[in-house]
Amino acid sequence: MEFLTDPWSWWIEPFSRNEFMRDALLAGILTVVTTSLVGTWVVLRGMSFLGDALAHGVLPGIAIAFIIGVDTSIGALAAAAAMIGGITVIRRHSPLPDDTSIGVLFVGFLALAVVIMSTQRASYTGDLNRFLFGSITGLDSSDLTRQAIAAAIAIAGVVVFYRAFLVMTFDESLARMLGLRPGLAQAALLFLLAISIVASFESVGNLLVFAFLIAPPAAASLIVKRVPMIMVVAIGFGTFATFVGLLVSYHHRSAAGASMALSSVILFFIVLALSVFRRSWADRRSRSKLKQLAQADSSAG
Amino acid sequence: MLLTVARCQMRSILSSVVDVTIQRRWQRTVSGAAALAIVLASTACGSTGQDDSTTPTTPTTPTIVASMSIWADITRNVACDGLANVETIVPLGGDPHSFDASLRDRETMENAELIVANGLLLEESLNDTIEAVESAGTPVIRVAEGLETLGTSTKENQTGNDPHVWFDPIRVAATLPAIAGALADVGFDRAALDDCVDAYTAELIDLDEEVAAIVAELPADRRVLVTNHDSLGYFADRYDFEILGSVIPSSSTLAETNPAELEELAESIEMTGVGAIFVETQHSSSNAQALADRVGDVEVVTLLTGTLDEPGTEGSTYLGWLLQNAQRIVDGLS
Repeated sequence: MEFLTDPWSWWIEPFSRNEFMRDALLAGILTVVTTSLVGTWVVLRGMSFLGDALAHGVLPGIAIAFIIGVDTSIGALAAAAAMIGGITVIRRHSPLPDDTSIGVLFVGFLALAVVIMSTQRASYTGDLNRFLFGSITGLDSSDLTRQAIAAAIAIAGVVVFYRAFLVMTFDESLARMLGLRPGLAQAALLFLLAISIVASFESVGNLLVFAFLIAPPAAASLIVKRVPMIMVVAIGFGTFATFVGLLVSYHHRSAAGASMALSSVILFFIVLALSVFRRSWADRRSRSKLKQLAQADSSAG
Repeated sequence: MLLTVARCQMRSILSSVVDVTIQRRWQRTVSGAAALAIVLASTACGSTGQDDSTTPTTPTTPTIVASMSIWADITRNVACDGLANVETIVPLGGDPHSFDASLRDRETMENAELIVANGLLLEESLNDTIEAVESAGTPVIRVAEGLETLGTSTKENQTGNDPHVWFDPIRVAATLPAIAGALADVGFDRAALDDCVDAYTAELIDLDEEVAAIVAELPADRRVLVTNHDSLGYFADRYDFEILGSVIPSSSTLAETNPAELEELAESIEMTGVGAIFVETQHSSSNAQALADRVGDVEVVTLLTGTLDEPGTEGSTYLGWLLQNAQRIVDGLS
């Protein structure tokens, strides 16, 4: 209960004392900005499964890039592009529903990554672990730069394609009629999704980035309805979850990435519970109001 | 499930015009809370540095951080008689290959005068953090990297440097001057360190003789090792053992086993009649157990490879630890 009895030393001191804690928080916030902006569309468009698949599907790209000594971000983006291409091909040439093609490629890419890893005997498995679970304790300035660039791309992308994303989300044929080129917009959204996943390696890792892509926008969409508001609230939620997650990791020596992801998901459930409670309360109130009206009506009649 | 939640959301967004007033109030509270969180976060960011000087955490004895318990004990003997307070990052019983640092560990490392790590990528998951702390200004000594190292036992990959150097007490003795040098560089008294190094070197040489005496009980044709992962290369090198193979043919516990090689290993175990497979406490031995069951008449013996034992036990110091392992190896094979 130290976070209540001694709030200064629980909440603030770890950050005021340590530069790496401030860096970790900054990296977390940059991740949250990127994932919240992109994740809002992922949640609204029901693309969660694709997002999940992509988050794991980039692994073989990372493994190959690592072996041949290319920047791992490039490998990851290439793998994401290959996966999206594969899904598009299956969609065009087969009657199978999208989630089937996503599922097949998801497991295929994951297995490929493990096969590639198992042929490598040198001890680089630790690095792959880092990609899966993040390594916010080992951040350096180049990681921060990469995340800042990703956040900038996400902001620019969402601003440029805002209208197209919005119309496309609710009515694809209307988007086509308005000349908003839904195909291009879809590709842009997938690109932004890939960027947000790739940029989050260091902070939360590939397995857990999903917590930030889905949970804060989903929680935000439960309580606000306008898309820009969902984004803003999602960033707020995600930032708070990052903040709490870092502190939990600091005080209880738990893994940082997982602590952040977990606090993000717990925050989602708290918001969900509050919104369910609020809705049933509102229902009851309007029902009793109706009853009063009905009684007034019948007594008057 | 999230998918359905998301779909439900879409529907409710499309249809919801209800309850606008309450909605607005909610919006305000929530954006207020979000703003508060951001403000809180930015104040935390903003209060840079000014506290660093006001909250000095200078302990009476300077703190040295070692990545694992074995190097911590050795470092304690280099800075003997309590010259330094030595802390360990990977806890007792933890696997130095896979242990990942928490943010608190990072703080411990940053506040240390010196970090003693094994190096040669032993600390695979910790490596990032060590590098980050090093670039933030804490000196790091990677003790194994100053030694003559062996390749891993696996035939096709001789390029890897086997990091498990602490299985050879003579190699450990060779690291002592370097550790003392690093300690002297961060302000420890050179003469006091030199006395410690001399005393401990003598102990390590005695230890080497004791281990050699234990191993001498074993006839040369029984000195064949099968391990869970490639951890005993230096022990084999020092005390004339042959390494037949390992269940995980890698110097990392994080690698995977492979059925063809396991089959090959089973055949060689049957052919040579090796009596034991040595596994480590900190890593699953299910594959080794399965191999032993398959071959039959093979004992699975647990060693402490990458960690010391709990305080108060024989294996709680490096000296006792190596003797204990040597005894278990000899017992397992005779």
